Amino acid sequence: MNDALDVALRLLIVFVVFLTFPLIVGQAEHKVMAHMQGRLGPMYAGGFHGWAQLVADGVKFAQKEDIVPAGADRRIFQLAPAVALLPYLLVLLAIPIGPGEGAVGEVVDAGVFFVLAVMGVGVLGSLMAGWASANKFSLLGGLRTAAQLLAYELPMLLTAASVAMAAGTVSLPGIVDAFEWWWLPWQIVGAIVFFTAGLAELQRPPFDMPVADSEIIFGAYTEYTGLRFALFLLAEYAGIVVLCGLTTVLFLGGWHGPWGADGLGWVWTLLKSAVLAFVVIWLRVTYPRLREDQLQKLSWTLLVPLSLAQIALTGVVKVVIS
Amino acid sequence: MILAQAPHGFLSPTGVEIAFLLVGLVTFGAALVSVTTKQLVHAALWLVVTLGGLAVEYLLLTAEFIAWVQVLIYVGSVVVLLLFGLMLTRAPIGRSPDADSANRWAALTVAVAAATALVWVVVDAFRATWIDLDGPAAGSTEATGASLFQNWVLPFEALSVLLLAALVGAIVLSRKAKAERSSPSLNSRDTDESSPSVPDARKNPAEQEGAR
Amino acid sequence: MSRPSPDHHSSTTPAGRPRMSIPGSGLAKGLAVTLRTMTRKTVTEQYPDVQPDLAPRTRGVIGLFEENCTVCMLCARECPDWCIYIDSHKETIPAATPGGRERSRNVLDRFAIDFALCMYCGICIEVCPFDALFWSPEFEYAETDIHELTHERDKLREWMWTVPAPPALDPGAEEPKEIAAARKTAEKLAAAQAEQAAQAAEAEQATLDASATEATPAGPDDPQGGEA
Repeated sequence: MNDALDVALRLLIVFVVFLTFPLIVGQAEHKVMAHMQGRLGPMYAGGFHGWAQLVADGVKFAQKEDIVPAGADRRIFQLAPAVALLPYLLVLLAIPIGPGEGAVGEVVDAGVFFVLAVMGVGVLGSLMAGWASANKFSLLGGLRTAAQLLAYELPMLLTAASVAMAAGTVSLPGIVDAFEWWWLPWQIVGAIVFFTAGLAELQRPPFDMPVADSEIIFGAYTEYTGLRFALFLLAEYAGIVVLCGLTTVLFLGGWHGPWGADGLGWVWTLLKSAVLAFVVIWLRVTYPRLREDQLQKLSWTLLVPLSLAQIALTGVVKVVIS
Repeated sequence: MILAQAPHGFLSPTGVEIAFLLVGLVTFGAALVSVTTKQLVHAALWLVVTLGGLAVEYLLLTAEFIAWVQVLIYVGSVVVLLLFGLMLTRAPIGRSPDADSANRWAALTVAVAAATALVWVVVDAFRATWIDLDGPAAGSTEATGASLFQNWVLPFEALSVLLLAALVGAIVLSRKAKAERSSPSLNSRDTDESSPSVPDARKNPAEQEGAR
Repeated sequence: MSRPSPDHHSSTTPAGRPRMSIPGSGLAKGLAVTLRTMTRKTVTEQYPDVQPDLAPRTRGVIGLFEENCTVCMLCARECPDWCIYIDSHKETIPAATPGGRERSRNVLDRFAIDFALCMYCGICIEVCPFDALFWSPEFEYAETDIHELTHERDKLREWMWTVPAPPALDPGAEEPKEIAAARKTAEKLAAAQAEQAAQAAEAEQATLDASATEATPAGPDDPQGGEA
């Protein structure tokens, strides 16, 4: 009985995190992006500096009519948002925020593989949406999503494998436990490649070719309205949370910090993730969108070789020190 | 694999066994639908269900690592590649009767033969061996890695060489096709001549900017 | 020739930056720009909460100073989109002196500007020879009914009280012609008066000098007597 309660509590906490953190990131994006452009951003909703803007947006989305295009493949069209969103919920379960059993939703033995595998499934949602919408822009968006996923999944996996090699384990808490401060310079190339490839997999600007609004309206999500559209957006922001959490755990040492490592470790994890989320927003504001061929070129001619070099470096150092 | 001491019967199945059987049925059903459905993309999506079901079966057999790799490679990449190919060529919404193959019976024969061979080999190899699901996980990452790189290194390496050969072959094929297509045409020569001047024109202002 | 070839030059990769600089310095520069902007004050006007700080010559609405209007109709005729409506009638003023001629004058009956049509060009204000029309910076006169955007005489007069005083001249600017003319006149007058006074004083002095031999001199006590 106690076990069941424990599991239920963990699931509840992860679910609450899943619902609130993406909103926090979204709100931060509203404000940070505005100030980086010399604007103020939302100021009214909720009274104080528009803190409730995304809640208001959610209410608005919920009120909208749920439209399925006449030519669409109805069931797949309606299923797609769930397929896009649920993987991120599952991934959140496996990300540890502090040391010990208490600070992770569920300990997964092959954590790195679990996380990357499930994140890859999320892209299927975009593909389904793109195909089932019966819209040429949606189809183009779906195609670009697929091409992007195929290009960026590889460097992401390779760099994650590099960290796993360094730690000698594929379990996420195990990797953080094995972390030493000098991993930071050792794995820095891998970290950058992982983060960049993750951004591309989330289709965040400057890698948002699949939803390039000036070319193909909104890519695979063109035909969506109301709550289903909101779910796609939520998936994007949940993806940011997951990516930042993962990069923190894999490359930045999770709960390790200069001080206060015991007891307050989770603060470090959250702090590092928040800084990364800021970087995600910062990159979005700063850089223009990559063209499709530039996108592919960046992955195949730069990120893949870099990640292979990182693996080689990891292997050499690992052999030398052992 | 770990041998269980007590003899097992089929009459008092455990929860895991029931789940295994049910997931197996779902997987089998999804596989059947994916080869019989008349809608191309639906077939690919049912394949996702099938492969996912297989991953769940691996999980139930405590082979966690294999399960996630299954999801990562098959659901995450192979099906995406499949869908990409479909969308790039033809992926109509609704039925596509012309996509039906005429050699249905030949395909069925091959499939049944292959399935029989595989089932026979597996049954023959393991016969009455039981996996002890309650003990230490037999399919954990560590166990899988150890057996893969101790007992099965040779097949593993042979497979990787095979994949490498396929990769090289694909590159050779694509490069050859490109060379054949571009060499005889006049247009391509024009662009070849003009293209060196383009980066020059672009680089000059850049250099000036750098000098400033 | 004009087709860009991505094979030779790529602006996306950090390695593809101009040769002279460190790879990725352009990317870093971009990040610095956005970060710097974030630390600066925003330029957003929070209008309904905070009134905007408008320029002195803002073209908000047009006010009418009725007393200056002579119903010359120039504004209505120059208006590019015919948004000024003027009605008037003639009145006869009886002769001021017996046997004199009686005069007629125009009396304004209606003066209206349709701000739904007005394009705020300001030609009417420029063209008015008697300074009867003025720009006012007031701009909050939106209506739910388009007919109410036709502001009649009384409303235009209300706007008149919101017209700010004309901005002070630039200290380095040329003197306004009116003031220059007035000043010149005043100076001329003063000069004439001074000359007159000098002459008067001289004449007085002469008489004093003449009488000094006969009577007690009293001249130095009254030097400004000529100016009275």
